[in-house]
Amino acid sequence: MSSKQEKMTNCFLNFCSGLVCWSADLRAWLLVLPFLLKQSSWLCFLLFLLLFGTFKASLFLFKLIDSFASEIGELKKEMVQTSVEKEPMKLPGLDRDVYLQVTHCGELVGERDSGYDSLRRRMSVLDRLTQTHPVWLLLSVSEEEADRILLKQPPGVFLVRKSAALQRKVLSVHLDEDQAETPINHIPIRESQYTFSLEGSSISFADLFRLVAFYCISRDVLPFTLKLPEAIVSAKTQKELEEVAQLGAGFWDSAFCGPRRSSPVPRRPLSRTLSLQRSNGNAEVQEWEQRFIGAQSDSAPPTLQPHTPPPPFPPGSRLSSAPLCFVFPLFLQTHRGCEGSPLLQPRPETAAEPKAATSSQAGEQQIKTKSESQTPPPRPPPPRFMLHRRPAPPPPGPARSMPVNVASPKHPSPKRHPAPPRPSMGSKPSSPPKNTISPKPPPPRPKSPDLEARRCHIALDDETIAKALSQAKLPSCQPPPTTEPLESSAASPSGPHKRGRQRFSDMSMSTSSSDSLEYLQSPGFSLGLSHNPAQDHQDPGEDSSEEDEDGEEEEEEDYGVGLEADLETRLRPSFKARRRRVAVSLSSGSFDLPRSLKGRLSKMGGMLSSLMTPEKRAVKRIAELSRDKSSYFGSLVQDYINFVQENRSCHPSGMDLLQTLRQFMTQMKAYLRQTSELDPPIESLIPEDQIDPVLEKAMHKCVLKPLHHVIEVALHDFQVSSGAWRQLWENLALAKTKKPQDLGVDGAVPPDSVAIEKIRQKFLNMRKMYSPEKKVRLLLRVCKLIYTIMQDNSGRMYGADDFLPMLTYVVAQCNMPRLDTDIQYMMELLDPSLLQGEGGYYLTSAYGAMALIKNFQEEQAARVLSSEARNTLHQWHSRRTAQRSMPTVDDFQNFLRVALQELDSGCTGKTLLVHPYTTTEEVCSLCAYKFKIPDPENYALFLVTQDTSQQLALDTHPQRIKAELHSRPLAHAFHFVYRRVPNLNLRVPVQIRNRL
Amino acid sequence: MAIRELKVCLLGDTGVGKSSIVCRFVQDHFDHNISPTIGASFLTKTVPCGNELHKFLIWDTAGQERFHSLAPMYYRGSAAAVIVYDITKLDSFQTLKKWVKELKEHGPEDIVVAIAGNKNDLGDIREVPMKEAKEFAESIAAIFIETSARNAVNVEELFQKISRSSSSIWLKSHSNYSFVYCKSLPSGPIIVTMQLLAKTKKKILCLHSLLLAYSPNITLAVQQKWQRHQRNPSIQF
Repeated sequence: MSSKQEKMTNCFLNFCSGLVCWSADLRAWLLVLPFLLKQSSWLCFLLFLLLFGTFKASLFLFKLIDSFASEIGELKKEMVQTSVEKEPMKLPGLDRDVYLQVTHCGELVGERDSGYDSLRRRMSVLDRLTQTHPVWLLLSVSEEEADRILLKQPPGVFLVRKSAALQRKVLSVHLDEDQAETPINHIPIRESQYTFSLEGSSISFADLFRLVAFYCISRDVLPFTLKLPEAIVSAKTQKELEEVAQLGAGFWDSAFCGPRRSSPVPRRPLSRTLSLQRSNGNAEVQEWEQRFIGAQSDSAPPTLQPHTPPPPFPPGSRLSSAPLCFVFPLFLQTHRGCEGSPLLQPRPETAAEPKAATSSQAGEQQIKTKSESQTPPPRPPPPRFMLHRRPAPPPPGPARSMPVNVASPKHPSPKRHPAPPRPSMGSKPSSPPKNTISPKPPPPRPKSPDLEARRCHIALDDETIAKALSQAKLPSCQPPPTTEPLESSAASPSGPHKRGRQRFSDMSMSTSSSDSLEYLQSPGFSLGLSHNPAQDHQDPGEDSSEEDEDGEEEEEEDYGVGLEADLETRLRPSFKARRRRVAVSLSSGSFDLPRSLKGRLSKMGGMLSSLMTPEKRAVKRIAELSRDKSSYFGSLVQDYINFVQENRSCHPSGMDLLQTLRQFMTQMKAYLRQTSELDPPIESLIPEDQIDPVLEKAMHKCVLKPLHHVIEVALHDFQVSSGAWRQLWENLALAKTKKPQDLGVDGAVPPDSVAIEKIRQKFLNMRKMYSPEKKVRLLLRVCKLIYTIMQDNSGRMYGADDFLPMLTYVVAQCNMPRLDTDIQYMMELLDPSLLQGEGGYYLTSAYGAMALIKNFQEEQAARVLSSEARNTLHQWHSRRTAQRSMPTVDDFQNFLRVALQELDSGCTGKTLLVHPYTTTEEVCSLCAYKFKIPDPENYALFLVTQDTSQQLALDTHPQRIKAELHSRPLAHAFHFVYRRVPNLNLRVPVQIRNRL
Repeated sequence: MAIRELKVCLLGDTGVGKSSIVCRFVQDHFDHNISPTIGASFLTKTVPCGNELHKFLIWDTAGQERFHSLAPMYYRGSAAAVIVYDITKLDSFQTLKKWVKELKEHGPEDIVVAIAGNKNDLGDIREVPMKEAKEFAESIAAIFIETSARNAVNVEELFQKISRSSSSIWLKSHSNYSFVYCKSLPSGPIIVTMQLLAKTKKKILCLHSLLLAYSPNITLAVQQKWQRHQRNPSIQF
């Protein structure tokens, strides 16, 4: 079996097995059912497929079903093989599983309790991991450092870092001292194309968090499960996790990490709602564990004491022990019961009971839980739970999931929530100047951008929930209120929220306030509830309007998303093409949907996109960040977009414009790889070799999408003004009159006028796309069509000798002068790494054909291209190569963002056009002008970094300084601030030298 | 196994059998792994070479004179160029010489040139003596082989030879490449180098030594940086 087939089969198998397992899980059905009833949109979607779906679409579905059916047969065989098979099985369902459970609670409990319980229960291992990744995800830490950190920790504690020797991520774990000439083990993490897995294991995961979460619960190839540091495990609130997370790598040396903090946390529950979850960690759990887990050591929750009984399987049988991990979902339930010790989570039934549950009742509940989870045999056949992902019920409505996180915004970047009492060591850098300087309380989660407004109901994913939540807290679906007026308008709803947060932090010190906390929580909760339906209503309209703007592509995204999200991970290789066809047939079909239905559908799309692949999630997150002007990345992108829109004519040629754009995107990609603004870091979501394509996609979305039309117009203007347009027009007209033979076609039968018209349509569609990659895909379809026509007529294989003349003929017949700019657009903006492949080849051919036509008259005269034309090609060639090999470091163009800091009015930021050779003196006078400073002599330009502020000497070059700072391996946040010089005598010129 | 992509450009007169050679090469052991391609002018095939896989991306060009001017776009960035001539047509051998000259002048540095005399099966109407062609190939240090696309003679061997010689050249050209890369950047040459190296999926150490071997000019900088990196691993090398 070739590896592709194998892959495909694997995909199917995973899907099928998941389906089987999942459908067998009655509770799961119970779970979906109410959801299905509530979300009539689902039905709507199915209806839509049936009613409007073209033949192709239904064919596709049938095929899919068919394939599943046929693959189920192989399933058994496969199951037997798994133990031997090296090929990793994909288990991205893990995450869904986790969510599933969570959803479960939300469904059943949500209405009855205040939401506070759900808040507690939501803190799964995955949540904890995701929130505290700055602590354990230390990619830059060396092996020695990792050893040093881990040796001080009990066995089971781990780090994820990047090994310099292997050039791979490794999981460094402190293993038992007993076994131990090497107490710290570094296990490489395998990154296949779309997944992460541990070396030697056959289970792979959609991202790093899921992987680690899994090994916190099931040991698989490890001798025992991973163990989170005590501080993380015992954190009771998001707030506490945030505190831990802020320490970053410094956590390991901090007091947090040492012996237990001695805050007197009462053992007994304080409030009714907390009765089950509250316990100060280990004692109860251990007791519990001794009673119920006993033999099954590998199911031990991560909180357990360091010593773990030896693994039930000898090390030799590692591979064969792999299926063990499939017990995981059961453990998960167990784990939900006891996970993170303080969070003993009641079963849903428990929660549904009157809240006066006593702790003995709780014990019973736990027994129940355990016996439930023990019912299945200890080593069930490997049920591939991945399927949980697909049939996992669509996200519970926002009303349900949002309150869960009320008052606990995730990851507020330390700078954005300046919390003075906290130690700031190791905290992450990078935040815009105004926030650092401004003493005002920043908005809750400034990162959540307006996109959220549209898709806030996309829940399942907890990050999304958290974001949506913070968004729900804003009165309107506005972009984050970074400016004052907005903030004050947001005051009333965020008031309770802030108080809630305050309380949270109190509570982390002493639990005495937990009762009041609960009360304080409620307003926030009800706020979330009351707010969301409105937002839901708002959604469709907004979405469809966006759809209108974006035209076909957006539609493809929206309609395709269901299938896409479903298929992307597992069926990607084989089905992507088909999916696309379906999507296109849907979008290019002649039907015109009623607006309301369209809205419905896009809402569906939003819903389904909760099943997004990590890739989509990453792209989405970057796109969000790019719209967030308060982030450095966002401000760069937005400033650049504005700049291009306003100053497109400042480029000497269209080519130059495109090349600057390409350069900008390349630089931004490089920046995104280094920045800490992306949270969680992209390395944890996307396998190493996929990061670049994902970033590329994101850049298209951030930069090209808004600029597409501007660029098109600009390119056309350039052509017109240079006279090239006229020449092209004339030559095209001339070439159109020629017979195929005149253009060099020899033998092959050219397409007839119907086919030409079809191709024309494809070219027209191509023009609507903003992404060069999508354009190229359409171009490939045109080429395929030409080939098909040629081959149909003769049956033989044609090489370039026949194809290129035919392509030239077709291009001439299509008579689309605009195609030229389109080809230029693709040529210059396509990811350079794709230029070598098939897309690059046919793009080159199209470019060549166009070049021939452009110079048709001369060619007619000389039978060869004029030397001038040849020179152009050569120049183009060298430019292209030059550009690839040297991205300049006059970084991020000629912009400089300067903040004006006034004592009374806070900060105002402006982006100035500053060339690399502009001196600080010039920048100062520019600032004085821009900010309308009456007394510029009292002001100066400062470079403000995390904890330093340096006045720049007048003869320095700010742009150079910026470039140098950017090129450092560990980029720290820095800002240029234009402010009043406190004392003129203290002017100390500072030269920033490159210390590399 | 690491996959390395090799762009191979096919040059030569029209009708000498450029595409036949590729079709034969690609189809002989029909590989289910290859994605269905659009048409025969761009084909790919992956073959093992040593401890890595080489994926040939084969770019066919149109042989007609009028398309000659487009050739630079096709051979740009190629690891190898296969110039095909027809042993039964002396003209095609003359064209070959023109191609060799053009590649020398405008082609990528370090491009592997392979000369393939096709239609070996028609030996009785041969116009180009094998000896002459072979001597010419030796004079320009090119790979030489006579093939027959029809009878599948020497097609595989042709690409194996390309595979082997591009292996050795690649290392050299790459370190040169990164050298150029470094020099063009006023700040942080090493970081950029690193990025490039990471892209090629080679281990740092191995490339470090390569850099030393091939680009003595930056040896010092790299060494200093490397030492610093070893002293303080938090500095990314």
